[in-house]
Amino acid sequence: MDLRFTAAEQGFREEVRAFAQDRLPADIRDKVLGHRRLGKDDYVRWHRILHAHGWGAPAWPKQFGGTGWTAMQRLIFEIETFRAGAPRLLSFGLTMIAPVLMKYGSPEQQARFLPRIPGMEDFWCQGYSEPGSGSDLASLKTRAERRGDRYIVNGQKIWTTMAQYADWIFCLVRTDPDARQQEGISMLLIDMKSPGITVRPIVTLDGSHDVNETWFENVAVPVANLVGEENRGWTYAKYLLGHERTGIAGIGHCHRELRQLKHYASQATDGAGRPMSEDVRMRDKIARLEMDLMALEMLLLRAITQDGGRGPGPEASIIKIRGSELQQDIAMLQMEVAGPHAWPFAPQWLDAGSVQPVSGPDWAAPAAATYFDMRKTTIYGGATEVQKNIIAKMILGF
Amino acid sequence: MDFTYSEEQQMLADSLRRFVDTEYTFTQRRNSARGGGSFDRRMWSALAEMGVLGLTVPPEFGGFGQGAASQLVVHRELGRGLVLEPVIPSAVMATAVLAAYGSKAQQQAWLPALAAGERVLALAYLEPATRYRPEAARASAERRGDGYVLNGIKSLAWHGAAADALLVSARVAGSNDLALFLVPRDVPGLTIGAYPTMDGLHAADLTLSNVPVGGDAVIGQPADGLAALEHGIDHGIAALCAEAAGAMDKLIAITGEYLRNRHQFGKPLASFQALQHRMADMLVQAELALSMAYVAAQGLTESDLAARRRMLSGAKVVVARAGRLVGQQAVQLHGGMGMTDELEVGDYFKRLAMMDVLLGDSDYHLGRYCVAMAA
Repeated sequence: MDLRFTAAEQGFREEVRAFAQDRLPADIRDKVLGHRRLGKDDYVRWHRILHAHGWGAPAWPKQFGGTGWTAMQRLIFEIETFRAGAPRLLSFGLTMIAPVLMKYGSPEQQARFLPRIPGMEDFWCQGYSEPGSGSDLASLKTRAERRGDRYIVNGQKIWTTMAQYADWIFCLVRTDPDARQQEGISMLLIDMKSPGITVRPIVTLDGSHDVNETWFENVAVPVANLVGEENRGWTYAKYLLGHERTGIAGIGHCHRELRQLKHYASQATDGAGRPMSEDVRMRDKIARLEMDLMALEMLLLRAITQDGGRGPGPEASIIKIRGSELQQDIAMLQMEVAGPHAWPFAPQWLDAGSVQPVSGPDWAAPAAATYFDMRKTTIYGGATEVQKNIIAKMILGF
Repeated sequence: MDFTYSEEQQMLADSLRRFVDTEYTFTQRRNSARGGGSFDRRMWSALAEMGVLGLTVPPEFGGFGQGAASQLVVHRELGRGLVLEPVIPSAVMATAVLAAYGSKAQQQAWLPALAAGERVLALAYLEPATRYRPEAARASAERRGDGYVLNGIKSLAWHGAAADALLVSARVAGSNDLALFLVPRDVPGLTIGAYPTMDGLHAADLTLSNVPVGGDAVIGQPADGLAALEHGIDHGIAALCAEAAGAMDKLIAITGEYLRNRHQFGKPLASFQALQHRMADMLVQAELALSMAYVAAQGLTESDLAARRRMLSGAKVVVARAGRLVGQQAVQLHGGMGMTDELEVGDYFKRLAMMDVLLGDSDYHLGRYCVAMAA
């Protein structure tokens, strides 16, 4: 056992920190640190800056054009870029469909799709959940019927994040309605420009539009866009979800937002002229969050370095539960620190450059919206209830 | 002790519930909340007709002279319906201030009009740097002739833009008095900027620049300002606790309904024990919140100041914690749908989040409680 970071890891940390400081566009950084809304262009620009540096696919092996980084390097990269105020890397292409294509995709699919992901030449979204199939994903009903060399897809997906920007969607569809639930599912790659696709926005509690409902009406999909084998989609879906869970621990996010929380606490005053960072009640709460983050980070380090860095199994669920809760707790405390300045709220104030007609500090204006928005973290990517089922079954063996 | 509603209280509760069920449906509430106006005059008149606005106004000023217990009855029902109108600032807080501290002339000028729903009052006592402390106000009042000239900034006046006049706190120059002034909204030098708050209601910032007011604008004596303000805030806290308890009650019903109707894994969500237990936790919290709303109502009649503060601040803290848990878990149990702006659950969650911090957040009241406990 050696609990120190190696010299190489330290060096890597400094390299990433210097890069982010140097190359992250100031307008994007200001939006991220100011909790303003990011547009498609902000994500694409940052991805392309990374890609030009050879860092466009931190989680990919070198043979597919990735960095070949270890799990530890990826973690350091996440923490340092987040710290600098970089947007998160969008997972739909990079860490969701790409690993599935590497493992199960045809050589043609790999050659066609993978190279276009790190530079975001293709913008991907995910078609998993349906109105009647959330936690019970395997009950999904979107139907794909084989007609010659095409599938005809009919149905409805929901929570399709950023579908309004997407060029492609990877979709779970039912190809055999007579088989047992999990056995009749396939995974299709569908061009979002196909006739018959309709995207309707869903506005969320913070007044933002990130998620959508996506309808498929007689959408024709070439058979060549079937991933792996027909009716084996559930296997691929589970493989993908395992990748999603560690990614949404939000460790980089937690580090950055805790730092921001402390900064806010030093700015806000208690009404008697003292900064909130010296208020004993508030300081205790901030300290507790920092301890929680220490625990989460060590938990994550233990998990990602096990099995020679092959990444966690069901332990990912522990990390997902704690990471999501901690993100919520930090947002809640940021709102508390803002005090009455967190009361005013109009969604348009989340757009960069908008002027808010209130006397409070700029950082306080999005606090309530961020608090509302962070409630999603214990719901998406497998709700906490689902993660607990996984822990009970896979780790405790019940 | 007797917790049963009197016949009158029961009738009032029943008629309010019917009113709320027909007039504050999800769609209606959304339409009026987002209509741009600060509140709906038609609803305001209806509330006056039902006796809500004159509930605690003394009979000689056209009210019903009811006490804190009736207020609890009313605000539970208003909370269930997430009523949008400025009932607490005007009919509870300002009314309590005027009834206890106002001059006869002020009472005659305002209380009958408040009870009849013809006028609206709000309180403006917070400032950009006061956080939740009313005593930290810096706005100034300078003697000029028989009256005063007011200068300063007031922020986050709850329903401030809906008010015909505001009770504004300001420090009297040359003394340590924090006086409370009744300031009409159309007085020269006063600008009011309104904005939405996180729960979809409105607050306002006030800029006072050489605002002239008469000597008769002072509520009570200049030295009474803080006491008058705290009297109003205490009444507001009691009403808010009852509102929050009512809102939690309704939110639990809404969530229970969702769990019964939504099926996953071939059965209703309501059949999963983990979710049943979560609902049970929410119910426990809501019952504690209602219990503390009773404590707060009791506190309003308590003559010992330290005991009164403990009851009111204690109620605010327990209710805030309950509201947080119930609101957050209601969203969680609705899953992705709970995150959308398309269901009622979000409106209740947001209102509970606002009630959590209105009139002082939990740390503020915990501090007050500790001081009172040591007294």
